[in-house]
Amino acid sequence: MDINLNDLLRRYRSHPFEDYPVVTPHTGVVFLKVKEGQTVKGPGGEWLHRPGTLLYVIERERNVKRMTALWSGQVSGIRLDIEGQFVEAGELLFSIRHQLDKEEIIDRILTQVLYILPAPQRARYFLAPEISAKLEQKPKEGVSVESGDDVLIMSLMKRDTVISYEGVPGALYKVCFKSGDTVEQGSPLLGICSPDKLRYVQKVIQRIRTEWEK
Amino acid sequence: MGKERVLIANRGEIAIRIIQACRDLGLDYVVLYTKEDEFSLHVRIAQQEESGFKKAYRVANYKDPNEIFSVADESECTAIHPGYGFFSENYGFARRAAMRTRPLTFIGPKWDVIRDLGSKINTKRLAKDLKVPVIPGSDGSIYNELEAEGVAEDLFFLQKEQGIHHPSILVKASAGGGGMGIEEVSHLDAFRRTYRRIQNYAKRQFGDEGVLIEQCLRDYQHLEVQLLCSSHGEVVHFGTRNCTIQSAGRQKRVEVAPGFDPAVCEYPFDARAVLDRIVKYSVRLAKHAGYDNIGTWEWIVSRDGSPYLMEVNTRIQVENEISACISRLNKSNEPPNLIRDQIRVALGDRLGFTQKDISFKGTSIEMRIVAEDTKRGFAPWCGTITRFDYPDEPWARLYSHVPRDTPYKIPTEYDPNFALAIIWGRDTEQAKERARQFRNRTIIEGKGAKDESIITNLEYLNDRIDDVLQF
Amino acid sequence: MRTDQVHMADSGKLLSQLADRISYLIDIKGNSEYGNIGDLLRQIQGLRQSLFEIKEADLFEEIDRIEDRVSFLEDRVSEKLSPAEIVNIVRSPQRFTLMDVLENVYDSYTELGGEGDCNIDPAIIVARATISRRVKNKLYSHQVMVIGHEKGRGEEYRNGGCARPWGNDKALRYMMVAETEGIPIHFYIFTPGSYPIEDYPGAAQQIARNLYVMAKLKVPMVSFISEGGSGGAEAIGVSGLRLMSSRGYYSVISPEGAAAIEGKIREGEKVPRELVEYCAAQLKITAENNLKLGTVDRIIEEPLLGAKRDDFPFFRRLRYEMLRATDEVVLKTKNFRAFRAYALKRREEEGKEIPEDFDLFISWNLTDLEIERLLEFRLKKYMELGKGYFLEDRNVLTEGIRKTKIFASKTYYDLRYGLLRPHHRNVQKVIEEVSSEGSVFLRKVTEPVRAAYDFVFPQPERPGKVVHSEGPDERKSIFAEEWESYVSPLANEDCTVTCPNAAKYGCLDLWVPDLYGEFCGVCPNCGHHFPLEYQWYLENLFDKNSVHEFNDHIASCNPLGFQGYNARLKKDIKHTGRNSSMITFDAEVWGLRLVVAMLFSNFRGGTVGVAEGEKFVRACDVAGTTRRPLLAYIHSTGGIRIHEGTLGVVQMPKCTLAVREYNDNGGLYIVVYDNNSYAGPVASFLGCSLYQFGMRSSRIGFAGPRVIRETTGQDVPPDYHSAKNALKRGHIQGIWDRREFKKNLHDALTTLGGPNLYYK
Repeated sequence: MDINLNDLLRRYRSHPFEDYPVVTPHTGVVFLKVKEGQTVKGPGGEWLHRPGTLLYVIERERNVKRMTALWSGQVSGIRLDIEGQFVEAGELLFSIRHQLDKEEIIDRILTQVLYILPAPQRARYFLAPEISAKLEQKPKEGVSVESGDDVLIMSLMKRDTVISYEGVPGALYKVCFKSGDTVEQGSPLLGICSPDKLRYVQKVIQRIRTEWEK
Repeated sequence: MGKERVLIANRGEIAIRIIQACRDLGLDYVVLYTKEDEFSLHVRIAQQEESGFKKAYRVANYKDPNEIFSVADESECTAIHPGYGFFSENYGFARRAAMRTRPLTFIGPKWDVIRDLGSKINTKRLAKDLKVPVIPGSDGSIYNELEAEGVAEDLFFLQKEQGIHHPSILVKASAGGGGMGIEEVSHLDAFRRTYRRIQNYAKRQFGDEGVLIEQCLRDYQHLEVQLLCSSHGEVVHFGTRNCTIQSAGRQKRVEVAPGFDPAVCEYPFDARAVLDRIVKYSVRLAKHAGYDNIGTWEWIVSRDGSPYLMEVNTRIQVENEISACISRLNKSNEPPNLIRDQIRVALGDRLGFTQKDISFKGTSIEMRIVAEDTKRGFAPWCGTITRFDYPDEPWARLYSHVPRDTPYKIPTEYDPNFALAIIWGRDTEQAKERARQFRNRTIIEGKGAKDESIITNLEYLNDRIDDVLQF
Repeated sequence: MRTDQVHMADSGKLLSQLADRISYLIDIKGNSEYGNIGDLLRQIQGLRQSLFEIKEADLFEEIDRIEDRVSFLEDRVSEKLSPAEIVNIVRSPQRFTLMDVLENVYDSYTELGGEGDCNIDPAIIVARATISRRVKNKLYSHQVMVIGHEKGRGEEYRNGGCARPWGNDKALRYMMVAETEGIPIHFYIFTPGSYPIEDYPGAAQQIARNLYVMAKLKVPMVSFISEGGSGGAEAIGVSGLRLMSSRGYYSVISPEGAAAIEGKIREGEKVPRELVEYCAAQLKITAENNLKLGTVDRIIEEPLLGAKRDDFPFFRRLRYEMLRATDEVVLKTKNFRAFRAYALKRREEEGKEIPEDFDLFISWNLTDLEIERLLEFRLKKYMELGKGYFLEDRNVLTEGIRKTKIFASKTYYDLRYGLLRPHHRNVQKVIEEVSSEGSVFLRKVTEPVRAAYDFVFPQPERPGKVVHSEGPDERKSIFAEEWESYVSPLANEDCTVTCPNAAKYGCLDLWVPDLYGEFCGVCPNCGHHFPLEYQWYLENLFDKNSVHEFNDHIASCNPLGFQGYNARLKKDIKHTGRNSSMITFDAEVWGLRLVVAMLFSNFRGGTVGVAEGEKFVRACDVAGTTRRPLLAYIHSTGGIRIHEGTLGVVQMPKCTLAVREYNDNGGLYIVVYDNNSYAGPVASFLGCSLYQFGMRSSRIGFAGPRVIRETTGQDVPPDYHSAKNALKRGHIQGIWDRREFKKNLHDALTTLGGPNLYYK
């Protein structure tokens, strides 16, 4: 139940990075717009409506698409050989080494504190419509779930299966995937915080907030 | 003109069959695959073949037309084979292939033929004009509730007159397909609510709130007529098939050619005459519509022997080979290869034979081997196939994208079909016997996520073989 | 010692008065360099600090010197005030506000709906006030409703006189109170503009509602403009007489706003002062300008440098003018001769000192007949606004033909649907009543009557029926005609585009020929509407060959002589082949005839000027006489065209009055917004419609995000103006899909609307 917070914090402090791979979403001819080591910015503005730094353009069927950074960080491992070349879908162009900020560290540590609902199968997952509607309307208040609630829709072999929540009742604290993404079997889908653990979780958050600054 | 190069815009066993057909015809080919299909046999075959150019391209999605055209241009393909499913009946895709600045030959009918026959309403109207029987119901899309109720009332009245005990009708979204947006109504009183529901669904889903109303037929056989036509106005048929054995979700599982066999089964009507009629009607409609490629006319035959045209599939079908298996081209006395012929005619060839050159011999059965739990609503099973063995017989063929030499993880993104077995016998009895034999000697082993054993429909297939051709 | 202190206090007061005068000059000039006034101010500061160290005589000498200098400078400044300087006068914190007017013009007042900052919107003040006059030494008083903006004396909560939507709503409620009680309304306009927020009911929507109600408000109304900031001014501006103070300004946009647009200044960058001054001059915003253009009726003289808080003679004049103006509005409805006599007498007084006495008392109560005339005069007055400031084919012959045509069609439609139809209905009713008796005998009696009746009114004349059989038919034939119909020229390119919602909904790239052809410019996955040219709607929304344009000869011109505007007009006329951004035409939707007014973006961004307003008003007339429904399809509108100044602004009330008249006569006015619709038109003749719809992916609002950021200092979410949010705010009544536009329109035409439509 208890986690060794000190250990975790130490680990993140020694390596407060996450490397995000930048891969092509589809085929096309690629022109890079960043250099090795360049610092790029993620989306900005109150509603994240201002796109991040232009990373590269990819042209397919005479549509030149501007691909912008989704994370801030430094460009590394850039593949100069693909400049101006036709590439396949899912081709790695470079990585963005993103420095985790406090909130992101909290987010990661929470995954180890919360009750996690793992993916039963490798499949595409969607939030149940009621849940996502609630989250959209009141993103800050959280949604409470209990056993038997339909929380997810699993799309497998072109069939949709509703997944009911089984576990401790509590507040839906964290959604670990993007609706419609393919999630590997066993990867976390939802993080739930039971009422009796709420204070503990808040304490953990509080501690990270204060400790991380040091 | 240089050598034609065909882009195979599909996956699984059909991709492999198209590769083989291209090789047979001496054509170059290129395949597509997604990350999930990386270990599919169709990719391996393409990658391993020696040639001076790249033969397999990874794309984001089989369903993104932009990916297909992008790869087609990059790989210098001149034609696209859509296989079945995906873009095979998408006239917009075919139109784009034909009209883009760098045109590509779409291996299938002309786009406007796909459009006209792809619309159930239009097909129905065309059929009526040509005196081809269709399922009783509305002639076209209905947008008006009062009109819809009128039609529904007529249909119930008609069924009562025929002495049908539990009359019912189907309300369908005109723009729908593949079993989507269809609901049954068994009381006129409940009609209005269902009508509104389907109308809303159609509006939301397809942007067209048109609705079709048809009599719901219950006791029927599902028959098909295989046609092959060319752009030179040639039309031939390869007989009929019976595809009545289907899973819960109306997915075909066992198919047999020919459509009826009066020699082994009894029918409450003149089976031979019915088969002749549906072939005759299908040919009539194909000629009138200017049909110019391979295609299947789907029919429903009720217990009283009345055939009704259901729809036209403007593509190669999974079960095409059982029709080929019972056909003989008199010049060679060999069965034809319909995929090869489809590619040939799409590239502008003449058929090279006429109806007179085709004769029929024996019975052929196709079994679709699927990892599914037939006892639990045909739920797909996923996991890894560790062993896949089947007998090697001159009278049997098996098509699969599952490699036999390495374990294969079934991708969860696609249909769970993983193999087709095609059996031929000199008569129906022998075909059934061989099918059973083949099935018994097929071994599939595998492990699921929780280390449980693979579940397949082999047992189910065994149970259903006896049912073929029985009304 | 005592006297010394008094002197000291006096000199302190004098000094601070001088300081006020100097800072007023600084305000007007916009800088302290002019005539070294900055130095003067510093000298005064110095004197103030050393008040007790200098000898009294020296001090007063110094004060006199400075005063001379200040007076000299004041004279110099007042000799030649530029429009930009007038704007500065109006904005000066020393200028009089509505509170001063209430204190000094009216005898007593009771503020309604709030006090100070305890108010739903302190930027708007409403008061029941008493204004009195002396007639032969007897005092007579009138009750009036005073409604106006309060800029405040630096209090932040007054928001500089920028009314929030609920402030204008408050104004509207008390207008209705005045109507209930039958007392005149005095409007005082002291606003730089409306506060551009969309919170319920939305800035534009509220202004439009106000205009719509004021159009037919049954009380005399007089308005006074000190600061007339575009739409915000119109929200409480409809009146029988519009007065303007001589140092006020009345403009379509702030000079800074105009400069930012004209100079294409990027957000956050400073607008050059020269450009602001240039625009202020170009916009023709002064009282003289407006009087000349006819957008105000009379100027109230202020002191040369403008009236301040304590200009009591000015308030006296204002009281006199408000009384006189209200008298005139009232008298006009009573008896035209009496009005003439009165007006003549007042004209004699013009230029003279304000008389202490009125020679007669005029009651401001109106009878029903007078109210009717009041509304008639109001409508007539507004219809005249902007006349002569658009180009029209003045050929006598064609004009004659046009007039004859209008007369003939009016007679025809009156006869056909006005006189004959009620008769028709009655006959039908009688027949129905008689037939329902059900007796065989009676039936025999009615049968011949029915036959004769059917002969006179043949059945196919009823379009309601035709519609039903034709609607679905047309849809059936889509199959055959799909490729014969109009296809957007946008479709002629072999390339793909990305749907803006791709990241959210996973939409695939769209092949342009598919998108702009078969998909009607709609993403099949998420329903996003890509913009289509207005011609697409002309071809696809209406029945084939049913579109007949009228008044296409009415052309925009350059009434203000705005530099560069001629060239831009010429370019757009050449480019679009049209004379204004408003297209008006007759058309049919599945056999149902209607009149359409369309604003399109290619001509000056779909902005509205005099020509557009005039065409709209005439379209209302045509729809009214022919008893057809009226559709305003807004392909795009960027607001009121700034190059036509307040002549454009007054198109707001003008068109709203025309629409109100049309609606009240039992028509059906539908507005459909597409792409981007902002500002003036939305805040008036569009926003006032009882039935407004938005096309999917359209944006509707008062001011764009940039203006909101610049005026409120706050950013708005990217979907702030989306149709979806407009629907949530109750601004529109529904969101339409382009692919169902025709069907929705047809449904709306058949189910909505008043009793006077030709097919009802």
